[in-house]
Amino acid sequence: MKNLRMKSARAGLDMSQQQLADAVGVSRQTINAIEKGDYNPTIRLCIAICRTLGKTLDELFWEEG
Amino acid sequence: MTYRAGLALGILLGVLAGIALVALLLKKKVLDMHFDERQELARGKAFQYGFLTLLAAAYAYGVSDVVLGRWCDVLTGVSICIALSVCVFAVACILKDAYLSLQERPRAVMTLFALLSAVNLGLGGLYAASGDLMQDGVLTFRAVNPIFGAATLVILVVYIVNHLLRDREEAE
Repeated sequence: MKNLRMKSARAGLDMSQQQLADAVGVSRQTINAIEKGDYNPTIRLCIAICRTLGKTLDELFWEEG
Repeated sequence: MTYRAGLALGILLGVLAGIALVALLLKKKVLDMHFDERQELARGKAFQYGFLTLLAAAYAYGVSDVVLGRWCDVLTGVSICIALSVCVFAVACILKDAYLSLQERPRAVMTLFALLSAVNLGLGGLYAASGDLMQDGVLTFRAVNPIFGAATLVILVVYIVNHLLRDREEAE
């Protein structure tokens, strides 16, 4: 499932995928794969992304039943 | 020094030179081994494919030697198996965007591959022209160069095609 919340949070900060990738120490393709729903990140990477985007885990990664 | 001793020394020096080159490239950060978590997972899967290919290729080579008789030097046969498995590993990594690490510069690495490919295929061409590639219908150890040249060429072509297709996909 696509992670549109993460994409919109990133876009809201006017960040490119590459900028977010550099900030959390992964490749741009990894950020792209997370946003497209092709890769489930570890909790460590989720936290790093949340901190960078100023959001909580719930806001970006929790899916309501 | 006998011919065989000279040959063994040459191969040993070649391997040592190769190790020294890789060590230098790692030190200069042209090659790097730091991957992110998604890349590590993808590379693990690619290692599985490469390993299974190596097993299958080694077995197929052994069977072919029994059935067809000696058709290549052992070093050549082993090199074919290794080249096949390395190609499978590399292609599986490339398709998952996990071949190059975070620090590696694609252009530098691919230039290195193009150079390796050209040198090895060029040597293969020279050996073929001088008739050293085959002796009495048996592929000699000199075929190792064109085999690894072909392997690096395959990796290079797959990387470039994948890169171009992905760029187009992302531009759409």
